[in-house]
Amino acid sequence: MSELSQYAILFGLSIGVFGLVLSLYGLARAIGRARAEPGKDVPATAGTLSRDPVWVRYHARYAGYALLFLAFDMEMAFMYPWAVVYREEGLIALLDMGVFLAILFLGLLYGWSQGALRRQ
Amino acid sequence: MSILVVLLSLAAGAYALAVIERWAVHGHLSLTGPAWAALALLGRESLLARKSDRLFFELGPVLLLVAGLMAVAVIPLAPGLIITDLATGALFLNAALAYVLVALIMAGWGPNGAYAMIAGWRFLGQFIAYAMLIVMPITAVAMRAESLSTVEIVTSQEQLWNVLYQPMGFILFVVAAMGLAWLPPLDLPDATGELAGGVEAEYTGVRLAVLRLARMVIILALAGATVTFYLGGWLGPWLPPWAWSAIKILAVAAAMLSIGRYMPRIREARYLALSWKLGISLALANIFVVGVIALVVPI
Repeated sequence: MSELSQYAILFGLSIGVFGLVLSLYGLARAIGRARAEPGKDVPATAGTLSRDPVWVRYHARYAGYALLFLAFDMEMAFMYPWAVVYREEGLIALLDMGVFLAILFLGLLYGWSQGALRRQ
Repeated sequence: MSILVVLLSLAAGAYALAVIERWAVHGHLSLTGPAWAALALLGRESLLARKSDRLFFELGPVLLLVAGLMAVAVIPLAPGLIITDLATGALFLNAALAYVLVALIMAGWGPNGAYAMIAGWRFLGQFIAYAMLIVMPITAVAMRAESLSTVEIVTSQEQLWNVLYQPMGFILFVVAAMGLAWLPPLDLPDATGELAGGVEAEYTGVRLAVLRLARMVIILALAGATVTFYLGGWLGPWLPPWAWSAIKILAVAAAMLSIGRYMPRIREARYLALSWKLGISLALANIFVVGVIALVVPI
């Protein structure tokens, strides 16, 4: 099977999921519809609609981790092609990536020592 | 043809998993229970929260289902029984499962409810904890197989399953997979009893049915990934390949579901600290150890 037809299959499956969900919704609609009553559509908190927008309440306190995550995530993009040719290249590949990972790991240790691995 | 077979077995697997979940979590073994529960959900009202972000609210569960199905598409059940044998299968699996995060944040943001919103953002923190521990063990698996194709990865384990070849990677991957599928004790985004259901709090009726189905598909995809990468996929004596796949996948999923019964929920801060301080170090050590073994031993 060619690459293009494989991706066409995946695209078709994604569209198919929308079809499945729509038909489920249609089935549920056929069984009955929601009755509009006051107070029913308020999100589960105190029974009344929140006065302020709710998104101000949550603070992401893991910024240090997030920055380190960016560095490590970039590194993974290099590691997949490296992993595939690893056995062909042999010891050279181990040393190359070893140096790279050692630098990255030192970065992690430095971040740790500076308190990045903590919920601020 | 094989696509249809995989899709049908996915449906059967999702149903079997629903039965197993009920049994593992609540201790009731009922073969018809999930069918009645699904029918009841279809019959219930599906409410739309006031002032909701309609697009995100509607798309969240659907995107979750799409992500789960895309991940299932690269998991081989038997030789030739796979939806698409992509050359970059292992990478594609990661890419598909990255959308779990997007879908959950959309589902949390959508209804404009405090509990759902907190749950969605919590999952972002959880993502930063588990993400590296999904990709790093897979790298070590690809190093041994010299390929990212999931079929090649299974055939590379003919001599020795990866669970024995790289046990550290197996443990890290399973724990990270449980974080990805927000299974207890890492169930921060729905946190039953603490956040009133979290991202599931505002979903009712048929929308909740879609969300639950998507969750089952994602658990199956992750159990399938564990089996493919570490437990030798369809390989095994006596029984036909598809039977081995089914047994292994359901057993891994059942184990993942039942661990939560015996452990308290882990806080986000603690999970982040554990996976970055201990997990990443172990994952890097795992890559190095597998690298040395792969150069010395020819299997």
